[in-house]
Amino acid sequence: MEATEKTAGTKIKVGIPRALHFYRYFPFWKKLLEELDVEIVLTTNTNKKIVEEGVTHGFGELCIPVKIYYGHVMKLIRENPALDFLFVPRYVSEVKESFFCPKFLSLPDVIKIIPKAPKLLNFEVNVKEFPIATAAVELAKQLGKSQSKGLNAYKKAQEYFNEYHKFLREGASVNHALRLVERDSPFTLPKKKHKGDIKFLLLGHAYNIFDTFINLDFQKKLRDQGVEVFTIENLPESIFKVPVIVNKRLRNYWIHEEEIMQSIRYFLTKGRKEIDGVVFLVSFACGPDSLISELIKRDMKVVGLPFLEIIMDEHSGEAGLLTRVESFVEMVRRKKRKLLELEAKQRIEADQKIDTSLV
Amino acid sequence: MGPNWVAFKTLFECLDLEVIVPDPTNRAAIKVGVKYSPEFVCFPFKATLGDFKNALDKGADTLVMAIDCGPCRFGFYASVQERLLRDMGYDNFNLIPLDQADLLQFHWVKSLEEISGLEGLAKYPKFVKAVMFFLKKAKLLADIQTAEGLFRAYERNQGDTTRTVKDLLNHLDQTNTLPELRKFQSFIKDAFRQLDVDKSRHPMRTAISGEIHISLEPYVNLDVRRKLGEMGVEIHQNLSLWDWITHKFHLNYHRKWLEHLSRPHVPMDIGGECVWVLGEYIDRSRGGFSGFVHCYPFTCMPEVTARTIITNKLKKMYDLPIIFFSFDEQSGQEGFRTRLEAFVDLMQSRREQMLKTQNITIEEISKKFYDSNGTKFFHECLKIIQNN
Repeated sequence: MEATEKTAGTKIKVGIPRALHFYRYFPFWKKLLEELDVEIVLTTNTNKKIVEEGVTHGFGELCIPVKIYYGHVMKLIRENPALDFLFVPRYVSEVKESFFCPKFLSLPDVIKIIPKAPKLLNFEVNVKEFPIATAAVELAKQLGKSQSKGLNAYKKAQEYFNEYHKFLREGASVNHALRLVERDSPFTLPKKKHKGDIKFLLLGHAYNIFDTFINLDFQKKLRDQGVEVFTIENLPESIFKVPVIVNKRLRNYWIHEEEIMQSIRYFLTKGRKEIDGVVFLVSFACGPDSLISELIKRDMKVVGLPFLEIIMDEHSGEAGLLTRVESFVEMVRRKKRKLLELEAKQRIEADQKIDTSLV
Repeated sequence: MGPNWVAFKTLFECLDLEVIVPDPTNRAAIKVGVKYSPEFVCFPFKATLGDFKNALDKGADTLVMAIDCGPCRFGFYASVQERLLRDMGYDNFNLIPLDQADLLQFHWVKSLEEISGLEGLAKYPKFVKAVMFFLKKAKLLADIQTAEGLFRAYERNQGDTTRTVKDLLNHLDQTNTLPELRKFQSFIKDAFRQLDVDKSRHPMRTAISGEIHISLEPYVNLDVRRKLGEMGVEIHQNLSLWDWITHKFHLNYHRKWLEHLSRPHVPMDIGGECVWVLGEYIDRSRGGFSGFVHCYPFTCMPEVTARTIITNKLKKMYDLPIIFFSFDEQSGQEGFRTRLEAFVDLMQSRREQMLKTQNITIEEISKKFYDSNGTKFFHECLKIIQNN
């Protein structure tokens, strides 16, 4: 019965939880799935209830983003019983000789054992073994579509994704861009551009920075203080071409962390003057970040760039966070003012010297 | 990692190097590790950092650390630790990583060259000797571990086995000729034959698995093997240095079998021991074990995944009691002991229940169990107990 109903025109319904890789790959998924005639069901933004549900399901030692993912999946299952599939991609490696965090590698395996979970759509990105196009063809097969349709969908999705990234590099914030993608509206920059007297680089995983619940809307907090914020996604592509050498024998194999390190290296060397401070958002029990943030902290000490590391979990208190941010911003601002005064003084002195020498 | 310093010491001594063995991991080392490490890095990082500092203080100038390029944190250990040690003020040392990603690629030969400073053709006889002795000793260590797990459950005077193992380790460390090493296995058997054992006992059988450093280092895992053994539980632990090395030489068919078992649940190696822990859990539950102990460092990414899958799915499917221990510097002895006692009680009552309902005698259970479990050496040890 169901199968005949499907052919009669109703689309296949696929649920996507608004967590983890959503903030990084959603435009790509959306285009890919829509080209394959699929109706996408999204969850709402993270809220307290979702977090609570996720925390009760996942046990203590998991990192908070994964717990939130659980919460979203539970919500999807509960609110949409008619869901045909759940889209939980397995990201193994996006670039050769690299990996994602082990928790992403086994994400479908831990999701499929949730009680009452619908079937998962298998979409495995593993460039070591096969190209992404193969994964797209596999995906099309599972949805009952032809191979060529899958390939076409992949091409279109990739084009759209490139366009999306170009838009981000023009300076749009990811949240704004994602909103546009959801509404299917064209990419236009917001009319009112935020300006501030100091510039911060906000580091961290996309799911920590752009999920406004988990980080208590950190970006807005910074903007309220008159800080101009930008993220890794806004940086020019050229930064990410050369790999970072931590140690002559170590090849960094985590792709997100590699991007973080690359952008940091840029600001430690050439772009030193372009920013006034760095804020790194880390979720508690995050494996890769625990080591990366240590390396970055040590580099920052050498160069003398202000650096704030904020560790988040489900018990984050707003007041304490605000105090830390305010004091950090104040400190950076004072430092900058002093630096500017010093420069001005030097310039005046230099001018005087020239004057006296002329006389 | 526990007694494995014996094997590594031989490896480097055969290359004409002086080996400085750091003190067994202790409170001071861990304190140092915790002080200088990032806050929530996994526990082996902190413990090994403390050990390195200890070795440097004793006068070492070259440190050797295994590295991997898997998805978990382990690959970063060597370089981050080097950075930390340099920032701590140690300048005159050289940290050489020993690539263990795939031993058949023979990257380790280059590392050995670098460590030993030997060049030309003359190095090869030494290399062969070193590697041979290393492998022999690793195998013997695994054998000692097997015998230890079995005998402790049967010993009459508590502490005998621990003493025997200590003597054996010292003796193995002193043994440096091939004929003696060949005979060492029977030497182990002789040593254990001296023990006063009570063969009328019917101990519980528990398997221990988990992250390799935590499972093998007795200070870090609060000596879970000894504590369980002294409660009268037989310990079966496949995990050892030998097991890992044969796996990395692609010769460990037992691990291949475990991978096969866990494939429906996790289809790929995600780092750590996740895949093999799942496989072992399934394997052990079929083998008639009474319990399973899973040890891992706090927030270890792959093992946490394994735990999630076991608690949510495998436990319902295979019904083997399992206890999880996540270790870090905050572990407390007494709470740990209480949990172990409760676990042993649980296994005991389950066995009694089984005896009542299934109408079989305890001898039959034992026979069935030993027929389907254990290596050749294990059965030889078993014979020693039965003939005592």
